[in-house]
Amino acid sequence: MIALQMEFYKCKRRWLWLPPLLMLAAQMLWGLWSYIDMDARALSQGWADILYSFPLLNAMMTPVVAAVLASRIADIEHKGQTLKLLQTVQSAGSVFDAKFLCAGAYMTVFVALQLATIVIFGVLRGFAGTPPWSRLLEYTVGTLLTTLTILLFQLVLSLLLSNQMIGMIAGLIGALLGLFSLFFPPSFQRFFIWAYYAVLYNTVMDWNETTRIVTYRFTGFAWDGVIGILLFFAAIYIIGRRLFIKKEV
Amino acid sequence: MSESIIETKGLCKSYGGTLRVKDLHMVVPEGAIYGFLGPNGAGKSTTLKMLLGLTHPTGGEIEILHQRMNDKNRLSVLRDIGSLIESPSYYGHLTGEENLRILQILRKAPEQNIAEVLKIVRLTGQKDKKASQYSLGMKQRLGLAAALLSHPRLLILDEPTNGLDPAGIQEMRELICELPQQFGMTVVVSSHLLSEIDQMATHVGVIANGVLVYQDTMAHLHEKSEHHLALRTLNNASAQALLRHHGIISEQREEVLLLPPLPDRTIADCISMLTAQQIGIVRIEDRRKNLEDIFLALTEGAASL
Repeated sequence: MIALQMEFYKCKRRWLWLPPLLMLAAQMLWGLWSYIDMDARALSQGWADILYSFPLLNAMMTPVVAAVLASRIADIEHKGQTLKLLQTVQSAGSVFDAKFLCAGAYMTVFVALQLATIVIFGVLRGFAGTPPWSRLLEYTVGTLLTTLTILLFQLVLSLLLSNQMIGMIAGLIGALLGLFSLFFPPSFQRFFIWAYYAVLYNTVMDWNETTRIVTYRFTGFAWDGVIGILLFFAAIYIIGRRLFIKKEV
Repeated sequence: MSESIIETKGLCKSYGGTLRVKDLHMVVPEGAIYGFLGPNGAGKSTTLKMLLGLTHPTGGEIEILHQRMNDKNRLSVLRDIGSLIESPSYYGHLTGEENLRILQILRKAPEQNIAEVLKIVRLTGQKDKKASQYSLGMKQRLGLAAALLSHPRLLILDEPTNGLDPAGIQEMRELICELPQQFGMTVVVSSHLLSEIDQMATHVGVIANGVLVYQDTMAHLHEKSEHHLALRTLNNASAQALLRHHGIISEQREEVLLLPPLPDRTIADCISMLTAQQIGIVRIEDRRKNLEDIFLALTEGAASL
């Protein structure tokens, strides 16, 4: 607990909340702009529509924001060569855990704010029916697990490699993979952590070629996908933590 | 010798199959300032990192503060040890005081220790400045303050004067010399500069190519600085034969005869004898093998002094 408290203390004046907040602002501008002009039909499928759009925005933006956040939280140790001092007062494992929990807290707040934005906007805009809480919960589970797994991956890279450019490049590649994964076959998607925003979709978009009408509707939630991303998380956590502990400073 | 605070047995470390530290048997007595001397790349930092558990030894044992150190007790042993390894560690975006607060909380040291150590290292006036704005000397002093924060029994300092200007070196040296008397600490300080260790240390260990080639008190090292009498005459061969005849063995080196240390009376008799045999004496001088010569001999010339 003290290690985590110190991690937040160390992040003073690092503006760590800024990248997730900027992403949220961008998503609000971009995502919500398209919902200003809606007819009765669009409003009737508003909840399914918005839960289709936000994972797409997350897939494009979150890997980059996770890379920036992980880099800023890890780089303070590389720049000041503080790991050799820290590891005389706390174990490498506790440094790793505290860093992940600290960065994870920022991302969790971001996901919560995003959810709040979706709900508040949906209600104010007059989407049909009450907010579909179970669907929103599925969306939150999927978004949070995928986001935290990507963040963990980025943190491992940023802690193990002092050159932060590598982490940033990985973040950009992840964003591209996340976006293009929407076109991957479903079985292939599951091999990429960045594709889990798509794997864990609980909505589908039907495009009628003849009428040229798009219909959004809820579909089943891929709980096996949750297991998949949890397995990825566990593997990255165990391997990354072990590599960090073994790394000589 | 008093009780040892550090004792290593057969300590080894290899990187890529090459032994960087070989079979090191280091003994640091309690209350000493132990100078760990060696040329660059000799294995000083690797050894000190192994003492702190930052690097895993390939072989051997470390007994520190009367406990055999292992992965399980490492952090509890280190609670009584302060360290400054290579360059100072600091968070540039935090002030000097905030940097120390992190360690004070992690070490569970009393809060008033921050003000105390800032005073010891003379940084009280600069405590609210960001560490990134500190000069190198101030960063080193901040590093020393961090090492002193929990009033450790043992302080391990790796090249603490590296990169400092002469005034900074003098200041750091004074600080280090004060610690054993003022706070009863044992200090291990590494350097590649013999003069620095000579001015600070009570004990010395010399490492070269990963091997501890000498370890004893500084006083003993000084005793090793041999006296010779260098005699130059117009006929060194005859002079050497004459001296040998009178039981004085000399060694011809370059253009002089090296005589062992002799009482003044004997020297006077030798001069009279040589003069009586009409062997012209050109020069006679007292020669001493200095510490640098000893250090170079021990490290086989690999040293930068």
